[in-house]
Amino acid sequence: MPVKGIFDPTIRVLDKVLGLRTQKLEAISANIANAETPGYSRIRVDFETALHDAVNGAGGGQARTHPGHLSGTAGLENFQAIVNREKDLSGIGDRNSVNREQEMVELSENQIRFDAAVRMLSKKFGMLKFVIQEKG
Amino acid sequence: MDILGIMKIGASALKAQTIRLNVISSNLANIETTRTPEGGAYRKKSVVFTSKETGFAEELANSTRIRAKGVRVERIATDPGEGKKVYDPSHPDADAGGYVEKPNISLVEEMTDMMKAKGSYDANITTIKTAQRMAMKALEIGR
Repeated sequence: MPVKGIFDPTIRVLDKVLGLRTQKLEAISANIANAETPGYSRIRVDFETALHDAVNGAGGGQARTHPGHLSGTAGLENFQAIVNREKDLSGIGDRNSVNREQEMVELSENQIRFDAAVRMLSKKFGMLKFVIQEKG
Repeated sequence: MDILGIMKIGASALKAQTIRLNVISSNLANIETTRTPEGGAYRKKSVVFTSKETGFAEELANSTRIRAKGVRVERIATDPGEGKKVYDPSHPDADAGGYVEKPNISLVEEMTDMMKAKGSYDANITTIKTAQRMAMKALEIGR
């Protein structure tokens, strides 16, 4: 029986998540660095809902109309986070839309979720290692 | 962008905040200076932050997505405002009417600015540490 991909969809999703979390960290650190730059609009990186939909094939994903079509997770390779800028709409101050407290919360949340993905990935690889090891 | 690039963003902010602190301490040190090489009393200096520019080639390569940038000090501006005039005829820098112009620096303003600079510095240290922790964590995959 041919091995149809040792790396299951979960590993591919987790791999994608690590990249997206890094991208989010980049945006957060730029926001914190520019917390006092006049006129700076905070960068917002969004992917949780879209990734969930992409994995489950719901929402924006296309339905499989033919068994030969690729499954929902195949779209993962081209999955991209939605990045946009949030302008300051308060009309007061220096038009800087960064809230440092909010960024700090997102920073630690992002880190925890990154660590969780790393741990899950390690477990997955651990299982693969376990099944391929030679019986001594 | 890699984790090292993220740490560079944080580092740019640390540098900018250090320059800011430098300017604040210069203001505080000269809070009573009535004579400068430019003539007249010392004028309050303040930093102007701007989003760091990236090179054109880099900009082109990343044109498909919004580019995260660091921060830099664009220039150090001088406050043109008039300082407080104090009547002190015996002062060597007193004018014909006996008034001395003091620097236009407010002690309270400078102290507040200093606290804000420290807050920003700490926040950026946290982002750098987080980036470092995430990079170290990623090295543990498959261990």
